[in-house]
Amino acid sequence: MSGGLDSFLGAAPRPQRAVLRLLVALARRPRGAALLARLPLAERAACSTLGLGRYDDPAIAAALGWDAAAVVARGRALRREEGRP
Amino acid sequence: MSERLDADVCVVGAGAGGAVVAAELAEGGARVVVLDQGPRHDPDDFTARPPEMLARLYRDGGQTATLGTPPILLPLGSGLGGTTLVNSGTCFRTPPHVLERWARDFGLELDEATLRPCFERVERALSVAEVSPELAGANAAVARRGAERLGWSHGYLRRNARGCVGSGVCVFGCPTSAKQHTGITYIPRASAAGARIVTGAEVREVRVEGGRVRGVGARLAHGRRLEVRAPTVVVACGTIHTPSLLERSGLADASGQRGRNLALHPATAAFARMEEVVDMARGVPQSFYIDEFAAEGIMFEGVAGPPAYAAMALPLTGDAHANAMSDYRRLAQFGLMVSDSSRGRVRTIGGRPVIRYDLCAEDVAKFRSGLARMRELFLAAGAREVYLPLPAGLPPARARARDLTLMGFHPLGTARADARASHGVTDGDLALHGVAGLHVADGSVVPSALGVNPQLTIMALATRLAFRLLGAPVPRAAAPSRSRPVPATH
Repeated sequence: MSGGLDSFLGAAPRPQRAVLRLLVALARRPRGAALLARLPLAERAACSTLGLGRYDDPAIAAALGWDAAAVVARGRALRREEGRP
Repeated sequence: MSERLDADVCVVGAGAGGAVVAAELAEGGARVVVLDQGPRHDPDDFTARPPEMLARLYRDGGQTATLGTPPILLPLGSGLGGTTLVNSGTCFRTPPHVLERWARDFGLELDEATLRPCFERVERALSVAEVSPELAGANAAVARRGAERLGWSHGYLRRNARGCVGSGVCVFGCPTSAKQHTGITYIPRASAAGARIVTGAEVREVRVEGGRVRGVGARLAHGRRLEVRAPTVVVACGTIHTPSLLERSGLADASGQRGRNLALHPATAAFARMEEVVDMARGVPQSFYIDEFAAEGIMFEGVAGPPAYAAMALPLTGDAHANAMSDYRRLAQFGLMVSDSSRGRVRTIGGRPVIRYDLCAEDVAKFRSGLARMRELFLAAGAREVYLPLPAGLPPARARARDLTLMGFHPLGTARADARASHGVTDGDLALHGVAGLHVADGSVVPSALGVNPQLTIMALATRLAFRLLGAPVPRAAAPSRSRPVPATH
């Protein structure tokens, strides 16, 4: 699990944290994924959570035209140049 | 170990309401202490990466949720700035018809003329201006094209931003500090005027003796305790946490309305796959609105974000999800917000707020109508495919409450203002009925759904409260004066 996704799950209230971790674990296993396919709401929650982690990967995001590091670097440069807080 | 501070005014919470009250009072000469449970965020730590920022900038990692049908996520900001730190920056004044209703149903003397100087003052302080089409980006252009083809009323939104370059991550921490949230506007002003800002302070109780407020007790890091003695306390913990603090403090609730009347502006969003490259995260995510159906309680507003955000929000699973995400650059997204008639309730169980909210049939009907029109909008704009947030194959007209995937960005009403003590928690001056010196300044006092984003309403009400406490009229000049009288402490 990516560090970012782990932080996200760790910040959740206890009940959601436990449920989402279970769903993510199930979704990563073929038999678990097959089970989730019969539970649309659970499958959607698992897919959303896994998607949040997967597409946060800089290499995957870059292939889709998003470079978080560049956005942050531009922001820092602007703040310094213009004396923003 | 215990620490004690003395102040004229103690403000609990540094979001839309608390920060404004604190700055105006401190600049008016009051000794102000501001307590906030969250941290002070350094923009150098903003990474533009959604999972990490959700964990860091939001309460509960953005996963606070209601119980009820359907469960609704309530993303709430944490830290100096509160939810203004993580909202989209959209600024609407309170609609006149809402003010008329407040006068009629709640006895509130808050007409347009009364609030105008408050709105003007806040808008100046936050550099509120309309987004330009260039900055709005291609995602807004898609919605605009659809609205123009359908002849629907629309426009570019006004936002509290200065020097925005369209980083596309307003809700994950603005990396350019362009968004003028209260953590970088009003809180520095309060601090410069001498206010003491204490972060990491969890206020456990408001202390009241003999019918008047005496101060607050808080917990700090490492088990330290802080007592603030003040003859005036302004509670501004937000709609979800303010009623909990009042309840924890053992304050009487003669109206029986504390924690009730929760409105959320429940919202959802649809995606569309376009022919053209959209790159939805390039530009201001919430820059455009369609208010054609506002009279029906339905408002469309822009929403967008980086791939990780889109993957989380996309209403698909399995191969369909992967396939749509592979074409992320051509995905467009737009949001739908309902001015709700449903009402929920916040209770405190085990020290935590527990939120119950069930979507009523009238609001379900608004979502059915809104989702059908959302599809119409995207098809008119030339979408190849539209992805509605409904179970596969379910047409909007047959959607039930449990089929909807909702979020609520604007909780309001749990300490509602009503001139009558038998009907409201606070009065028209935002003073708690029955307790002298105790005021509330956050979304909880807003007595009904607004149908528009509420931050400006909350800030205007907070401005009015601050000047009432100072015993001075709200100035019309741009520059804040430093020579106003100190607050009355009676």
